[in-house]
Amino acid sequence: MTTVQPQDIAAGPPLLEVDDLRVEFDTYGGSVKAVRGVSFSVAAGKTLAIVGESGCGKSVTVQTLMGLTPMPPGRITSGRARLRGVDILGRTEIGGREIRGREIGMIFQDPMTSLNPTMTIGRQIAETLEVHRGWSRKRALDRAVELLDMARIPEAAQRANQYPFEFSGGMLQRAMIAVAIACEPAILIADEPTTALDVTIQAQVLDLLSDLQRDIGTAIILITHDLGVVARMADDVVVMYAGQVAEQGSVEDVFYRSAHPYMLGLRAAMPSNSSDRRHRLLPIEGSPPDLFSPPTGCAYAARCPHAMRICSTTDPGAFSLGGGHTARCWLHGDKAPRVPQLAYAGAAPGLKA
Amino acid sequence: MWRYTLKRLIQGIITVWFIATATFLAMHAVPGDPMSGDRAVSAEIRKNLEAKYGLDKPLSQQYVIYLGNLARGDFGISFTQQNREVNDIIREHFPVSATLGILAIVFASLGGILWGALTALYRNKLPDIVIMFFVILGISVPSFVFAAVGQLALVKLNDLLGFSLLPVAGWGTVSHMLVPSLVLGLGTMAYLTRLMRSSMLEIINSDYLRTARAKGLPATRIFTRHQLRNAILPVVTVLGPSIAGITTGSFVVESVFAIPGLGRYFVQAVQQLDYTVIMGTTVFFGSFLVLMVIIVDLLYGFIDPRVRLA
Amino acid sequence: MTPSNPNLETTIDDFAPLAAEQRRQQLSRPSLSYWQDAWIRLRANRRAILSLYIVIALLLFTLLGPLLWRVDPSAQDLDQVSRPPGAERMITLAAPYRSWNGEAVLPTATGLRLAYPASTQSVRLIWDPAPGAAAYRVYRNIVPTLPGESLGLPIAQTLTGTETRYEDRLDLRAETYFYTVVALDETGAELTARQALSVDPVAVITVAEARSRGLQSASGPLKIGDKVRFKLHPLGTDYLGRDMLARLMHGARVSLFIGIVAPLLFVGFGVAYGSMAGFLGGRVDQIMMRFADFVIALPFLLFMILFKIAFGIGPGQSGILPMIVALVMLSWPGTARLVRGQILQVREEGYVNAARLLGARTNYLVMRHMIPNTMGVILVTLTFAVPSAIFTEAFLSFIGMGVAPPTPSWGGMSNEGIKSMLIHPHELLFPAVLISITVLAFNLLGDGLRDALDAKMRSRE
Repeated sequence: MTTVQPQDIAAGPPLLEVDDLRVEFDTYGGSVKAVRGVSFSVAAGKTLAIVGESGCGKSVTVQTLMGLTPMPPGRITSGRARLRGVDILGRTEIGGREIRGREIGMIFQDPMTSLNPTMTIGRQIAETLEVHRGWSRKRALDRAVELLDMARIPEAAQRANQYPFEFSGGMLQRAMIAVAIACEPAILIADEPTTALDVTIQAQVLDLLSDLQRDIGTAIILITHDLGVVARMADDVVVMYAGQVAEQGSVEDVFYRSAHPYMLGLRAAMPSNSSDRRHRLLPIEGSPPDLFSPPTGCAYAARCPHAMRICSTTDPGAFSLGGGHTARCWLHGDKAPRVPQLAYAGAAPGLKA
Repeated sequence: MWRYTLKRLIQGIITVWFIATATFLAMHAVPGDPMSGDRAVSAEIRKNLEAKYGLDKPLSQQYVIYLGNLARGDFGISFTQQNREVNDIIREHFPVSATLGILAIVFASLGGILWGALTALYRNKLPDIVIMFFVILGISVPSFVFAAVGQLALVKLNDLLGFSLLPVAGWGTVSHMLVPSLVLGLGTMAYLTRLMRSSMLEIINSDYLRTARAKGLPATRIFTRHQLRNAILPVVTVLGPSIAGITTGSFVVESVFAIPGLGRYFVQAVQQLDYTVIMGTTVFFGSFLVLMVIIVDLLYGFIDPRVRLA
Repeated sequence: MTPSNPNLETTIDDFAPLAAEQRRQQLSRPSLSYWQDAWIRLRANRRAILSLYIVIALLLFTLLGPLLWRVDPSAQDLDQVSRPPGAERMITLAAPYRSWNGEAVLPTATGLRLAYPASTQSVRLIWDPAPGAAAYRVYRNIVPTLPGESLGLPIAQTLTGTETRYEDRLDLRAETYFYTVVALDETGAELTARQALSVDPVAVITVAEARSRGLQSASGPLKIGDKVRFKLHPLGTDYLGRDMLARLMHGARVSLFIGIVAPLLFVGFGVAYGSMAGFLGGRVDQIMMRFADFVIALPFLLFMILFKIAFGIGPGQSGILPMIVALVMLSWPGTARLVRGQILQVREEGYVNAARLLGARTNYLVMRHMIPNTMGVILVTLTFAVPSAIFTEAFLSFIGMGVAPPTPSWGGMSNEGIKSMLIHPHELLFPAVLISITVLAFNLLGDGLRDALDAKMRSRE
């Protein structure tokens, strides 16, 4: 894993910039505010992990970027997403180039249902090349076999003629990766790519992703709720809670200089390799707020062990800790009491966990 | 595939045997046993029946004779018409019914797929609402009403035009077939439209369609290559049972439009209580339907790779 | 440290710890039971609620209707046969019939013409002699005669070419008749010369007949030229002069009785059979379901006909019972399969295993988990079984294998109505519309129930 210094993030124009994205869903019970002002950026060739528990809005965020959020019932109420400086929200192509499949590829959580059951794997890969590159069927199919080979599927030539039901889950996810990278996209979005797979297969798929990233230089947005995967893969991390970014920064900052009580809670709930037998897993009490009517103050206040009066009345907004590290927490207010485990701006190097 | 075909055929033969036995038992349970009673049956017919069915023998032997006849493809002789064989009747009238039925099923499946796809594309918009209104009407209105209204509309149309555009009844030319087959297919078409619509909508929300969209494929290609093809599969699976619906529907339509098909003949036999013809045609229709379901299932195997290779 | 909102004034008090009771999360939605949630969903479905009202209205029509409209559904009113609703009920009193000698009271004209005003007593026709005619044939049609098509019923033929009149007294009604007179040569072959006329006879009745039917005039004693009024039939009469409204109400009893009782019985039997197979499992389950498969394979309507014949209908019986028995015998396996599948599925669910681990008894499991979780499916099946049973009754009655006349049923009424559909469409229309509305209402209600009860099936419409 490469160590990313804070200045790396600032250097050079980011490949993708998302600014204040807000998405709502109209349901018969009212409108659900699923994404409530999310901003982040992705640098070329780097990996950004978006972490959070189920329902925190991480999948909706990236599906909206891809134009995959059904509208209606979905609605983008504000925000911008710029790919190389051009806004892509609500568009499917920029300058005559398709965004989907060509600029941004995507892998989904459940490989068993994400491929067309009545089309051969090879055809499903080749199709993207035929459409985006205008290749002949023959040429696209030949390339599909190469891509399957790159995705480490044995006997790729035979496998290309098979149907999804003849593949195992891990193989299907590799085939999905082959589909997603067919046009060598600038960004590869992986939405919980290993959640549905066996643990042993998970590592193989993650390795494959890292290797492909090195080979074709694609940036990866990795959606996951597995902090282990984040630590292994990510350069930068966005921690989401109740549709907002709770904390973001480099993986070093977020893991070792955590500045939000939610991240502290997540770390305490994570198993570690330490031989310390007194180390116990501590769950975060309570459950996330109902997004039909999000709380007026900090969304985490009800579960936060350090909650203050202001937390229940006023939204904290993002406090910058420098070097692109931000935290959405009142504990960084100048009058707030200091919490020993938390990293503060300008403070001495954070406490190692 | 061959093993599967063989298995289906054996299952089919057992089903036909079950149908034949149930028919035999049902007919011999008729109060007063018309087969051995003397219900306005002339002496010659009586003699024919006795020779054919061994009516003087015990029931178990009659059953054996009956099954033997069936095994040889002999469906029996008429109870009311002298020396008329059910096989003759079938040979004469079934082609008419088959022509009508094939037209109706082609019409129903093409219409069902087309309308179903349209409603799904325009979900909750005007075309969807209009088509679904007619679909609900099609499902709720009995087939004889369609037949009657179809005929009435023809009469009125001919009146209005002042000449006979399409014949109101009878059989023989293509112009005789159009309206009856349309009427016959309507109910099935409504049912298939509904099925196609729900199958299309289910696929719209499927993961693999999301993948297709994420691949940046053009909307028309997603629709034809990914959505339509997969949506048709459930429609194909119900074609077998639909043929049964069309067959019974043909009883009504043939009667109303005075078409000399097997269905109309069957209804006449039922009304005249021509027991042997009823038995014969029931077993014939039953076997025909079983065969159709097997054929459709085998056909399905060619369309769906999951079945083909399994 | 950069605060996100530098303008916000904060005090030290704001940063005091939050008291525990202030942390509690507010629940913004009340929690609902399965049935409460289903009911709310159903109520939100306008089509389903409308259908529910229609079903209730139909039940009222069936149950209360005959109490309000006390007309015998089998009584024949021979003066008013095949009357459409709103038909003229006034009838003119006429003198008794006297024979005709060929004189004419109406102004003379050419071609086929009337000698006397046409009434339902007689239509007196005279026509011009045609050259070369050895005789004439008179046709009467009830629909306008189109070129090249049938002229209708040949009702008479004259004996000579000089006889150019005809008096029609054949079952006349107050309807439009289309007469055509065709000249014949010596061999009896039709010549091209023909004359045509359309006639609207006036309904008349003699004083004696009016008295015998107990008809009253508004102005005292009955005399010729007065008008009297026939009995009211709001929806008209059928081909035997029976009151349509009364027949529809009594027919609804039969149709809805079969449509509701048969599904209740076969769904009940199917549930018992299916849950038994599901509970017992193993070999018994296999044998039971294999038998169900065979019954399903039987062509349904063919065997309905067969069973109906086999059960037979004795004299004076309506044949309702045999029909219900046949329906139950052939329809149960669908429900049985469904319920068995549901039971097997629920049996494997985590919450059932959890309950079992906690020591729940079989009775508790069945009452608390199995039944509530299969109830929805059963209810939906039942709702959809009603229209299909009504359809079956209608179909069988239509081909003459249903409820025996004179017991009215909607299917039987349609069957009778279809014969005179071209002239008296109301006889087919009313029962057919009622069948359609009933089936429609139950179908939409079933859709609504399915959507409300089963979240998984919601996308299927």
